[in-house]
Amino acid sequence: MTKRRNLILPAIVLAVVFFALAVLYWAEPAHSLPSLIPGHEAGSNHHHVKHGIAAFVLSLGCLVFAWFQTGPSNTEGRPA
Amino acid sequence: MIVVASLITYFQAIVLGLLQGFSELFPISSLGHSVIIPGLLGWDIHQNDNFFLAFLVATHLATALVLLGFFWHDWVRIVRGLMRSLQLREIKDEDKDAKLGWMLVVGTIPAGLIGLLLEHPLRHLFASPTSAAFFLMLNGFMLYGAELLRRRAPGPDELEPDPDARIARRLNWRSALGVGTAQALALIPGFSRSGATMGGGLLAGLSNEDAARYAFLLATPIIGAAAVLKIPDLLGPDGDGVRGQALVASLCAALTAYIAVRFLMRFFHTNRLTPFAVYCAIAGFTSFTYFIAT
Repeated sequence: MTKRRNLILPAIVLAVVFFALAVLYWAEPAHSLPSLIPGHEAGSNHHHVKHGIAAFVLSLGCLVFAWFQTGPSNTEGRPA
Repeated sequence: MIVVASLITYFQAIVLGLLQGFSELFPISSLGHSVIIPGLLGWDIHQNDNFFLAFLVATHLATALVLLGFFWHDWVRIVRGLMRSLQLREIKDEDKDAKLGWMLVVGTIPAGLIGLLLEHPLRHLFASPTSAAFFLMLNGFMLYGAELLRRRAPGPDELEPDPDARIARRLNWRSALGVGTAQALALIPGFSRSGATMGGGLLAGLSNEDAARYAFLLATPIIGAAAVLKIPDLLGPDGDGVRGQALVASLCAALTAYIAVRFLMRFFHTNRLTPFAVYCAIAGFTSFTYFIAT
């Protein structure tokens, strides 16, 4: 697997952003979400739990990607 | 409480449970059948009724548990491989269990995300028996296309006796992502998850048997996760009046799912998708014509 160490920091930043988004979806009703975030609905008290789970999964995915990029270099394999 | 007592009878629960176990694993769309069959039998059950969704949770969970049990030894190896790669911070080419495990993760995430975000709107958009019958017919054509590809696909590699290692070697990351994403097609009632993934596997160069095995491995986490996510629905007010029926249905689903996976793993050793394609095309066309006419 080819390691792209320059992507470690962006992946961690993205993971934090997605985690924050997940917390926002779980904590705030749809009407309180910023209008630029998918799921914003004026007057709705619905909590987008599934959106939160999706954001959390993406956050985990970014962290795992960053973790693998910190590993030892191996030029034999193909890129993931 | 007066209404919920007759939401679904035990007879209906047994029929739907038996049907779910078979149709979830056969490439014939369980969701499509759960829409079409009640429509054909004149049952007053609708796909989007909250009690019916809660009822289906139990049958899906049973199917996922059967799949997990059937491939238990594979899953133990796969999870160990995942842990090993995380510890080493790399996926070694020779570590087939780790590679297969991460391919399943890569395939599950997009389908899971699409499912989380689009399941509700798609289910409402295509919930009618008529549209499910039409898409079941299209599923037949999709399976036939996969069958045509199967003829060009290489046979099982005699040099590699371990099917999981064969799959890990034949698939690359891009095809794993594509095959996994194809599962999302099953959000439309009438299209089959296992049919889409088997077809994707054949397209990626797997043999028919390996494509079926990979489809069942891919199905386990996504069916299980979807069921676990919805368990609160079954335990909450939506499950009032259907929990007993759901238990009976889940036992029936577990029985037929076990029979189905055993049968299919042997069937695809030497056989083709053609019978399922013909069934879907004929059943879809006949049901579509019936719903249009009535």
